[in-house]
Formats: sequence, structure tokens, C-alpha cells
Amino acid sequence: MPPAPCHRLSPPARALRALPLLLICAACEGRQSALDPAGEDAAVLLTLFTVMLIGAVILWLAMNGMFYGFTRVHRSQISKTTANSIVIGGGILLPTLLIGALLGWGLSILPDHQKPGDGLRIRVIGEQWWWRVEYWPEGADTPVISANEIRLPAGQRTEFTLTSDRVIHSFWIPALGGKMDMFPGRETTLSLKPEKPGVYRGQCAELCGASHAWMAFEAVVMPPGEFDAWLEQEAAGAQPAEGTEEGRDIFFREGCAACHTIRGTQAQGQVGPDLTHVGSRHSLGAGRLGVTMEEFAAFVTHTEDLKPEVRMPAYDHLSEDERAALAAYLKGLE
Amino acid sequence: MKQVILTLATLAVLGLVGAAAVVGLGLYNVSARVGHLPGVSWVLHTTFRNSVDLRAERPERMPDLADPALIALGAKHYETACLPCHAEPGRERTATMAALVPEPPHIDEAVGDWTPAELHWIVYNGVKMSGMPHWPAERREEEVWSVVAYLEAVQQGIEPQAQQALTADPQVEGPEHAAWCASCHGGVERHVPRLDILTETQIAEALEEYRSGARPSGIMQQAASIPTEAELKELAAWFGDRQPRGAGSGGGGAAERGAVLAQRGTEEVPACTACHGPGATEPNPHFPSLAGQDRAYLATQLRLWRDGTRHGSALMTKAARALEDDQIAELAAWFASLPPQKGTGAPAAAEE
Repeated sequence: MPPAPCHRLSPPARALRALPLLLICAACEGRQSALDPAGEDAAVLLTLFTVMLIGAVILWLAMNGMFYGFTRVHRSQISKTTANSIVIGGGILLPTLLIGALLGWGLSILPDHQKPGDGLRIRVIGEQWWWRVEYWPEGADTPVISANEIRLPAGQRTEFTLTSDRVIHSFWIPALGGKMDMFPGRETTLSLKPEKPGVYRGQCAELCGASHAWMAFEAVVMPPGEFDAWLEQEAAGAQPAEGTEEGRDIFFREGCAACHTIRGTQAQGQVGPDLTHVGSRHSLGAGRLGVTMEEFAAFVTHTEDLKPEVRMPAYDHLSEDERAALAAYLKGLE
Repeated sequence: MKQVILTLATLAVLGLVGAAAVVGLGLYNVSARVGHLPGVSWVLHTTFRNSVDLRAERPERMPDLADPALIALGAKHYETACLPCHAEPGRERTATMAALVPEPPHIDEAVGDWTPAELHWIVYNGVKMSGMPHWPAERREEEVWSVVAYLEAVQQGIEPQAQQALTADPQVEGPEHAAWCASCHGGVERHVPRLDILTETQIAEALEEYRSGARPSGIMQQAASIPTEAELKELAAWFGDRQPRGAGSGGGGAAERGAVLAQRGTEEVPACTACHGPGATEPNPHFPSLAGQDRAYLATQLRLWRDGTRHGSALMTKAARALEDDQIAELAAWFASLPPQKGTGAPAAAEE
């Protein structure tokens, strides 16, 4: 492949040249874009957005066209009646009708985003700065507890019950639908019907403190059969990988169990995310890092650097070997 | 007008020169033998009384000052920290102390008719230019109540026999100072930690922190500054070697609520037993055992961690920060109710 023509530029200049392109591309393709819908609700919103955008462009052209026409081309005096009808028609009636129509359409879309689901209900609690997730399959008495990742069956409508711990968060998976605020002491609902299987990204969309920007998650849309199998596996206790006993001992010796639950072990803490199947997730620390062994070790050692003001203390007193062993244990919890 | 200003300026300059001569040439006689000029003592003492009156406020939280354990703790601290100047009931001040200027009053006289809040203010703040020191630790106001409890007992009149019983050291065959340490740390329900459930390292670390002032406590900083470093090490080794005896204080409603909180935690509070046991999956010698620990001590320490007065462990600072007052009481009640245990692992089989 021949080198790009900009290879002679200095790196900052190259980055600068690529910036507009990057910005444009980042918006229309990707895991976190409302312009690349992967579900019914996001598609409706995209239509609304497209109609508004096209309408706005037409109006803008019409306005400027008239301005140009009356000042530069058709410069003769126009009658008072014509002027009045332009102002009343174009300035009062048209906007009222258009905005009224848009409002009616927009309001008619709103209830659709809270339509009852097809059975599965997911309760998400916004914490500072992560997501407590409970799956309530139809008729379930107890939830399947997870954290920092949301899996959804494709082609089915899933209902979300949203609330928060102590500040306002906002739950948003742009590729799947609109956003919904999460309030302490109050529950809001949102329902999503994803269509295309894939991995999308959700993000807290309400400034909620120091690590707001690091409060994200992966939304994994799976074919329904795969989803059911996954949920069954998620409901089961932890299956630590072979040869990770040393890491397990470190986990308990360091008191990690005071805050984290690993079902099937004595770890029952509730302050932090449930780690029963942390090794099978797509990200670590609520979208902060990937899930390689190195990243597990880095998160445990540099917690407060990676997520400012996080409640988890940094375990930087662990030796390299201990970090690696602990990372292997956590990574092995699939 | 000009003349008035000139006269005042001249007087001011003369005054400054005079003051400089007194300081610079040593013209003022500082001899304690000579004492104060007539009236000066009255001015100083009246200022002191009025200053205390103005500043001592009734505190929000005051423990039961009639609690015998609190009185005993205060008496024991008084013995090492205050007795050299103020003597004790039934005994005279030393001749040397009586020659101090200002003369420290004998305790019988010193307690006067001060209210508990005023005594607390005086003991915590000390009194400038009188030789009365302030409490050596920062933000440990609650510790001072033990001394106030003792002073209240003195105010109400304490029999010499009762005084002796309060400060007598138990019979202990240990290294130098062991009996003295055991006079406070020898039992339960004493407002101080029992040491028989702690290890040598834990005791040595605590003593080191007190000695260096890293861990604030007016009582323990004073106590840890008396033995030499080598003696402290011996004491840590000896006390670390004791085996826990006796039973816990038993259950109760608060203890039952504390059990759930300690073992399960909440979404705000980590589970205490994951680190401190009993029943920790992987016992960690760094974390002290709390099973059977003194209830009042536990409650105080949890408050100190939560309020940021005690630090030195990021884990405990974060663990305690969301605790409510009633949760602290419940946790302390539960840990105190457990049979005492050294180490944080599974409870040892009960010995006959």
C-alpha cells in the first residue's frame, strides 16, 4: 500500500488535517452513533432527525433565497398586501404549522420508547461511576446480577427500569435508541428493540461527577437463542479457571470480597460491581479499559488514576507477580 | 493641634525605647522567687476564668460521666500526665511543684466548681502562660471525657481507698511496664482495646504510630512516650503472645443487626468480616481481629476513621466513610459480642 500523501507533514499537522475527516466519520459509523441505528427505536429517531435536517436545510435555503431575491434581484417596491401576506404566511402561519406538526410527531414517538417489553426486564442502577445491572426474565423471582455490560436479545423488545444511587445519571445507547435520565429514589422506564446483533457502546449522558466521562458500558445484542444460553451461564456461579488458585487467595487475602461478590464463593460484598463473570465482559471499569491480563493488573494497581475519585482503593502494594496472579484469576472468571 | 500630635509622637517613641530597653537589656526580673507585682495574679486568673466561661460550650455528645470504666481510664491517664503537677486526692503536691509560678492548684482545689463542659475545655485546650498544657492530640475531643469523668468523681469527693483501687496496677509477670499497660488493657468493657486478640506486629505498629504521633490519641501518645523504644518492642512481643480468654459480651438486638451488616455489608458499606474475620477465607496478618474487642473502643475508632481523624489506611478510610452513627453502634455491639479470637480466620474450636 503506498504511503498516504500527507506522510511528509509533522505528526501534529497530520493529525490536524485528519481532524475534520475524523469528526465526520466518527459521527456516522460506529458502536456509539445515533446515525448508524441498530434497532427499531434508533431507526425512528434517525427518521425524525433526517426529516428535521432536510426540512431545516430547505427552510434555510428558502429564507436566504427570499432575502437575496428581495434585496438584489426583485428590487422594485412590493405592495403592502403582498408584504403582509408574506410576513403573516411565512412568519407566523408556516412556523406554527411546521412546529406544531413536528411536536405532534415527536410526542407520538415518545410513548413508543416506553412500550411494554416482550418479557425480559433489565433493571439498571447508575452508581458513581458504574452500572449495577439486574436481569429479570419473565416470571423470575430473583434477578440475575451483573454489572457494567448489558446484553440484549435481537428482535425482542426489552424493558429497562432505571434508577440511580445518589446523583442523576442518564442511560444512553445511541445505536439502539433514545436516552433516559436515572434519578435517585425514582424509577424511569425505557424500552429498546435492537435488530442487528453486534457490540454497541452506551455512555452516561448526564454529568455525574469526576469520572463521568469514564462511565460507559458495552451493549451486546445477541441472537435470542445465544442470549438465552448466555443468561443461563450468567446466572450460574463462578467457574474459576484452572491454575488460578494463587490469584483467588490474593483476592480474599486483600479483602476484595468486602466490596465485590463472586457467586459460588464467600465473596458477597455489595459496594462494587459483581465479578462472578467479569472475565467474559468486553470492558473493565465501566468501559474504562479492555479485558487483557495487563489491563486487569493495571486497573487493580492504578484504580484512582484511571477513574478519579472512584471508591475502590488502588492496590499498588501488590508485587508484579501478585498483580499478574490476581489478573489471571479475574480474567479466568468467565 | 500640631503640638498635640508632636507630644503624642514623642511619648510613643519614648515608650518604644523603654520597652526595647526592658526586653533588650533584661531589665525585667523573671525570677519566680520574686513573683508577680501586686494585682497581676488577680488580673491573670480573672482573665482565665472569664475566658473559659465564654468559650466552654455544652457539647452535643457527652458520655455517661458516672461510668466507672470511664472514671478508671481517666484516673489512670491523670496519674501519668497530670499528677506530677496537681497531685492526687489524699496526697500533697511535691515541694517543687508548689514552688511553680503560677502555682498549679492541688486537684481538690483545681476541680473547683467547674462544670463538665468547662473542665473539658480546660483539659483539651490548656491554659497559655500558666504551664497547663493542651491535650497532645488533634481532634480527639472525645478522649478528654475520661479525664473529665475522673475530675467529676474528685469534685464529688473520692475516698483515698477508692483512689488507690482506681490506679493500682494488677499483678502481672511480664516485662517492665507490662502491669502498668495491663491496668487499662487487662479486661473488657474498659473503653480501650483488649490486646490478647492482637498480634505482636499489630501492637508494635500501633505503638510506633502513637509514639511518632501518626495516630492521634492524647492518652496513648502520652503512654507510648514513657517506655523506651526497646521496652515498647518487648511489651508488644509479650502482649502479642497472650492467648485470648473469656467469652464475648453476648448478643442483643443491636448485635444482631450488626451481624448482618458486618458479614454482608450494604451497597454503601463493605463487609467487615471479609478482612477482619472471623471466618475470613484467606486470613491476612495485617488486618486486626475484632472478635471480642471492646465495644466503646470499636465505636470510637469507627467514628475516627469515618470523620478522617484516624488515617493511615486507605482501605479503612474508604470503608468507614458511609457509616451512620447507629450502624457504628451495631457493628461495635456485634464484634464485642463474639468470643475473643486471635487472628482473622475461622474461629478456633472451643477449648474446655
